[in-house]
Amino acid sequence: MMKGTFGELALCIGLFLSLIGPRTVEAQPPAHRILVESSAMQSGETMPRDFTPDGRNLSPPITWSDLPEGTREIAVVCSDFGAGNPPPWVHWIIYSIPATANGLPEGLPILAETALPTELAGAIQGLNGWRRPYYRGPAPPPGTPHIYHFTVYALDEPLGLGPGLDREDLLRAMNGHVIGQGDIVPIYERFGNE
Amino acid sequence: MTDERPRTISRRALLRGAGAAGAAAAASAVGVSAQPSTTPASTTVPAGAVIQPTETVTTPVVYEQLSADEAELLGAIADHLIPEDEHGPGAVAAGAVVYIDRALGGALSASRDAYRGGLAAFERYCRSSRGAPFRELSQVDQISALIDVETGAATGAGSGFAGSSGAFFGMVRGHVLQGTFGDPYYGGNRNFIGWDLIKYPGVRTAVSPALQTALESGELEPNHRSAYDSDNFEKAIVRSVTREMRHGD
Repeated sequence: MMKGTFGELALCIGLFLSLIGPRTVEAQPPAHRILVESSAMQSGETMPRDFTPDGRNLSPPITWSDLPEGTREIAVVCSDFGAGNPPPWVHWIIYSIPATANGLPEGLPILAETALPTELAGAIQGLNGWRRPYYRGPAPPPGTPHIYHFTVYALDEPLGLGPGLDREDLLRAMNGHVIGQGDIVPIYERFGNE
Repeated sequence: MTDERPRTISRRALLRGAGAAGAAAAASAVGVSAQPSTTPASTTVPAGAVIQPTETVTTPVVYEQLSADEAELLGAIADHLIPEDEHGPGAVAAGAVVYIDRALGGALSASRDAYRGGLAAFERYCRSSRGAPFRELSQVDQISALIDVETGAATGAGSGFAGSSGAFFGMVRGHVLQGTFGDPYYGGNRNFIGWDLIKYPGVRTAVSPALQTALESGELEPNHRSAYDSDNFEKAIVRSVTREMRHGD
């Protein structure tokens, strides 16, 4: 009974952390809200399994609009604030995205020798929680829905970043340069071995 | 997971794939063991193709512990872990699958169930997640599936891995490395492909100053000798549970 109570408490804490999103100590909350959408998923709804290891584990398509004036570069981070020790667990980082881009198409490459689409020329996929430079989708423990923040950052200047940055590195580099931010927040749940 | 290979090899694991490049077709699950007397030509074949001995293979490999299908699947996985590329032949040409098959009858016999169950779970995972068995997937989907198994993400995906899928991947990776870079006495590292790949010049029980100088200047020619060609080393004899045999037979 004590174990069940502790488990329930841990779940509540995890869900609370996932709902409040990025810790404000890591990034100044910008005034401008970017509109982030997807043709394949919606905030608050279950994302299609092909964006998870239950399917083909492709990176989902994301679009953004209403960028603040003066945007010179864009970065995107996918985080699960209900996982990781400490949270969040990072599923994807992509930065140095040209300000002329209006989104990320589905299925960005996982092979180093495959180039990104031309509209993303110069963009770099950073290191996720597995220390891999590509998207890896949700694989939460069965029975517990998790919430995934795909956050888009608008920056006031190109940061000239190189490859190999993780989330902490990127947030540190972006500090003081974020002029807009927005996200799309789907969920995913596994249901155990069949 | 760390890359344990020497820096002379770039990390090729899961970055390239050439489908099911096999060493030979398996004729039977149980039978008289035989080793190919020549190194088969590395052949890139489309995913799903049946592997046939090439004209350079004088004797096909007969697998003892793995079924034909298991050996072919394991070869397809090994070909992603250490593929043939500009550095040289890969794990399949080096006989890594043969090594694993022989070892499962001896020193690695405790892993037989793990291989049987793990390979079957891997195929179930590929079918359920990507709609086809591994060897019929595109190169990118093959690599993506292997990444998910490696990171443990395939665990709990309805595939039935016993424990973490990452444990299965780690086991296979470790044995593929052994089979590629271990002493040929144990059935792998065929024709010293693995040692040549990492520029290991071979075992020498005595090193003269001239040899040391040659080694340090990168001019020491490989001697292509097993450690067990020397009487200084006692050959390990591993008895199978079914019949008495040397591990290296």
